[in-house]
Amino acid sequence: MSNPWIAIGALAAVAILIPVAMIVVSALLRPRVPELSKRATYESGEIPTGGTRIRFNIQYYMVALLFVVFDIETVLIFPWTVIYNDAVQAVGMTRALVPMLVFIGILVVGLGWAWRNGAVRWVRSPRAQRQKVER
Amino acid sequence: MDPLVNLPDWAGMAPMLAFAVTALVLFLLDSIEPESDSLSLTVLTGVGLIGSLAAVVLSGWFLLEAGPVELFAGAYVVDEMSLFFTALIGSVTALVVLGSHDYIAETDYRAEYYSLVFLAATGMAMVASANSLAAAFVAVELVSLPSYALVAYLKHNRGSVEAGLKYFLVGALSSAIFVYGISLVYGATGALQFDMIATAIDGDALTGGPGILGLGILMVIGGVAFKTAAVPFHFWAPEAYEGAPAPISGFLSSASKAAGFVLAFRVFTVAFPLDAVSGTFDWTLAFLILSIVTMTLGNFAAATQEKVKRMLAYSSIGHAGYVLMALAAFSGTGAESLLADVSNDSLLLGAGMMHLLVYGFMNTGAFLFVALAEYWGVGRRFEDYNGLWREAPIASAAMTVFLFSLAGLPVGAGFLSKYVLFMGVIGAGLWWLVVIALVNSALSLYYYSRLVKALWIETPETPHEIDSYPAGIYAAVVAAAVVTVLLLPGFGVVAEEAIAAAGALL
Repeated sequence: MSNPWIAIGALAAVAILIPVAMIVVSALLRPRVPELSKRATYESGEIPTGGTRIRFNIQYYMVALLFVVFDIETVLIFPWTVIYNDAVQAVGMTRALVPMLVFIGILVVGLGWAWRNGAVRWVRSPRAQRQKVER
Repeated sequence: MDPLVNLPDWAGMAPMLAFAVTALVLFLLDSIEPESDSLSLTVLTGVGLIGSLAAVVLSGWFLLEAGPVELFAGAYVVDEMSLFFTALIGSVTALVVLGSHDYIAETDYRAEYYSLVFLAATGMAMVASANSLAAAFVAVELVSLPSYALVAYLKHNRGSVEAGLKYFLVGALSSAIFVYGISLVYGATGALQFDMIATAIDGDALTGGPGILGLGILMVIGGVAFKTAAVPFHFWAPEAYEGAPAPISGFLSSASKAAGFVLAFRVFTVAFPLDAVSGTFDWTLAFLILSIVTMTLGNFAAATQEKVKRMLAYSSIGHAGYVLMALAAFSGTGAESLLADVSNDSLLLGAGMMHLLVYGFMNTGAFLFVALAEYWGVGRRFEDYNGLWREAPIASAAMTVFLFSLAGLPVGAGFLSKYVLFMGVIGAGLWWLVVIALVNSALSLYYYSRLVKALWIETPETPHEIDSYPAGIYAAVVAAAVVTVLLLPGFGVVAEEAIAAAGALL
């Protein structure tokens, strides 16, 4: 009788019932005033221009990827610095420091490669330039 | 390490580190000279050859001299099997690097191409040594991610980009299945390391009953099936191999497949020993079904292809089916084989390893011949290869050796590795499985001969216009052919090593 799944099932039923009920009730009660501006994509008064299929500049992704490099680095270095003193006492300087230096070294090689290959050079988009001139 | 080799334990990682260091050196070289034209391609190929051959030499040396080593609290082991496969991966990488020299001469981002090849090879060497499911997953991802980029390397070629996307989507799906399976196995046993999983299963200390473990094992099979291009995760293989640059197709279909199989051998023999899990989930039955379906589908589909690269891709699926027989016929009992003094299980695994080794040379060689044809712009269909022997007699002879060896004729070591594999399967009492495999081999002889016939007998409609003979691809094709033939007399020596490695694992 005291199956805990009954309570979960009841919760699920309520969770479905409430939003459905709200939609149904509001559909029954609300006045209908169809007008053009209500059908616009943004009801905020912003007039949408152009299509949705725009090409984003690839460099947003480049920056995001470089961010991931630093992000991972930070996530690993923080706990390492916290335990560093204890680790040196427990296993010695070499085993505490060298693996982290190797890790950072590999990341630096990757970052250096990306830098030299122009991943952080913000190239101007010719299309955006053109649009600016036209305006 | 064994006293014979006077080195610290971590030196056992040296073959894998050789790949990793080569990848980083290539990145550094590219950072110094990022403009594509200024850095000589010969330097890059040279660095790549040195790195891959260093991995072969180091693993061969450790294989002969050193004992097994456990590193990182047992998550990474360097034993005979891992060294055998690292040597295999190193040889294939060397062939691919040499074969790519002319193939990518006209393209941009050549240093990155080589670095990605070496990062994937690092991952494969790690897969061969991984002794914990977490390490195995990270290593498999390290193989997969560079492979996706390499398949889509010809980025102005629609086929290549499409192949890369398909490979990525199927790969992402099967990675998700694999990691979910790992989580279920961990949930059931509370361990990630292979031997500890086995202990937990043996001690009946399963959380959530045997069902969760069984589902986890099934999903791990899914992950392995993707890497080895076996049914039901084979869909990516024909597309990816056809669209990718031909040397990369060879790399993926031999080295990447070998890495998938070494993972399967290690996981299923060490972590899920048959006598312990047979009540939960009898994985030999799963591999039996997969093996039959994979080899039949691969060979029948290959027989209907019009394009050479696609035919080789489906034949590669078929060969995955043959090697899966080694796991399908596995008994876990240590029963005697038809050979004296060798248990049937180690004979089976050893034969599987030998087939992968021989396959590594003959299949990479065949794809490099396709690379040669693509370099000349010959065309993709069988008819386009008509009468190619007039222009390229040496390469055509090498290709004939590869094809007949793939079919299992005794011109190359493909005959012996298949023979020993069949012997092991018969020793396990599955003679009807051997009959199916023989029917498949006979069918494969038909479609391989079609290409041989095109090369030597047919006359071309329009004469081929061949103005240059690329030295790198030629050297790689000839080297692969020489090794394929030399493994025929040298088979016994290498096979003993492989069977001993399999025996050490069991």
